[in-house]
Amino acid sequence: MDKKSSHSNSFSLSNDRFSVIFLIVPALIFCTVFIFIPAFWVIIGSFYSFGLTSLNDWEWVGLGNYVKAAQDEFFWIALKNNFIIVFASIVLQVGVGTILAAILDRGIPYGKVIFRTIIFTPMVISSVAVSLIWLIIYDPNVGILNAIIKSIGLSPPMRGWLGDPNISIWMVMIVAGWQYTGFMMVLILAGLQGISKEVYDAAEIDGATGVSAFWYITLPMIRNILIIAILITTIGAFKVFEFIYILTQGGPSNATQVLGTYIFLQAFNLLHMGYANALSVVLLIIALILGWLQVQASRRA
Amino acid sequence: MSKFKLANILAYGFVTLFSIYVMMPIVVMVLTTFKTRREIFLKPLSLPGQYNFISFEKAFGIGLGGFMFNSFIVTLFSVTLIVIISGMAAYVLARIDFKINKFVYLLIVAGFAIPPAAVLVPLYTTVSNLGLLNSIFGIVLPLTAFGIPFTVILFFAFFLDFPREVEEAATIDGCSKLQIFFRIIIPLSGPAIASAAIFQTVWIWNEFLLALIMLNLDNVKTLPIGLIKLRGEWTSDWPAIMAGLTIAIIPVLIVFLLFQKYFVRSLAGLGK
Repeated sequence: MDKKSSHSNSFSLSNDRFSVIFLIVPALIFCTVFIFIPAFWVIIGSFYSFGLTSLNDWEWVGLGNYVKAAQDEFFWIALKNNFIIVFASIVLQVGVGTILAAILDRGIPYGKVIFRTIIFTPMVISSVAVSLIWLIIYDPNVGILNAIIKSIGLSPPMRGWLGDPNISIWMVMIVAGWQYTGFMMVLILAGLQGISKEVYDAAEIDGATGVSAFWYITLPMIRNILIIAILITTIGAFKVFEFIYILTQGGPSNATQVLGTYIFLQAFNLLHMGYANALSVVLLIIALILGWLQVQASRRA
Repeated sequence: MSKFKLANILAYGFVTLFSIYVMMPIVVMVLTTFKTRREIFLKPLSLPGQYNFISFEKAFGIGLGGFMFNSFIVTLFSVTLIVIISGMAAYVLARIDFKINKFVYLLIVAGFAIPPAAVLVPLYTTVSNLGLLNSIFGIVLPLTAFGIPFTVILFFAFFLDFPREVEEAATIDGCSKLQIFFRIIIPLSGPAIASAAIFQTVWIWNEFLLALIMLNLDNVKTLPIGLIKLRGEWTSDWPAIMAGLTIAIIPVLIVFLLFQKYFVRSLAGLGK
């Protein structure tokens, strides 16, 4: 934002106020009507109790919805699941993505573009389609996962891959990792390719090659990109919806509920609009904190 | 080129295994399309007995063609609006001394952070009050709003690196900011427009949550919620469901393979 001030004279506003307003107003109207005013109403609405059909029938409940959330076991399960997904996504997507990026950057002499293309491909497929494909892979009757497990002489879980509350959230993570690891790889690869060859040559003279060069030279140099990758992954993990909605519907018995699906359930299945708003405020606060952190990280990068 | 070392072999082994993990579900999807329901039940790991297009006919039979058309229209309108509106705003932020610029930029960044799920109920009420539920614009307008912040940030970074001399000359020649933007900036912003448009196309083509709450009638449904209907209609007819998915995915894959340079560039740009 500061770069422009030195040139400001030839771009003074006075003679052309109309143009400037015309250029900036549409973006502000869109964001105000569909993002900022709803964000305002989500906070106001969280202090009321109302349903979908009784929009003019708001009953003031004060902090009642928040008290309800604090005592709602499933809200805490949902929040905990979001944190599990954050942690697992960072390990699987950023961790494996970094390894893949390092391999594509310096580990293999041929085939980089082909591998990059293949591994990045899931990113462009809709999460709905991705979830439905994995639904058939996990299916207890026709799924190939069961068939593979049986063919090597093991027995698959009794209640199905998605029906067992102890493993279902991890099965969802395998799907999320399938879709997003390639994205992280490409992001990190862009950072790696910014490191000049001289740096590695110098490191080689000092005796650092291969894995040790990666650990002591490469990782510190892409620190900022890794921080941004972790933040993007974290933000995505709080937005997760389709995987849960389609793979498990939040089940079995709410074991895989996340904030997104729980808000949807409360709002559009149970019609507890006020309560859904209170849950949304929690998500809103988390999102704004993460967004603020991302701005700080980008500024340093 | 130096000789192959053990490290190279391990590296190839790892990326190959990962590539198989990535490709396996896509292969399963395509092969299941051609199998019969009996085959997937009895021999889940074998190839289809014969190749025919019955499953595709079933998938199109519940209106997949219409859902694709709706997705196409929604994506076309939304992406066009997002690119033009964001470009205009980013130009003001990057180039023109305007008192409220800093405040506007902060708003945009805040808008970028807020996910639709965090404002779900009021957003639904807003679209409902505008009388736009179950209409194409009931989804185009909110999607446009949620696409704008990121695109403004992307264009803002691009315009900062843009040479000023041409614009200064145009100003001296008496062009207004509006003329400069549409006649000079837009034609020179090809790469930024391509990156932004591709990123938003993928996001909007695949968007699910807002479409799910705004579009309940079949004649306006987009592809992702159309796929849910497909699943509802053909509960355990996996070949028909997978045929629907194949039809839905193939166009995006083709676009991706043709423009993958831009995809990678626009996503890698997130890190900057």
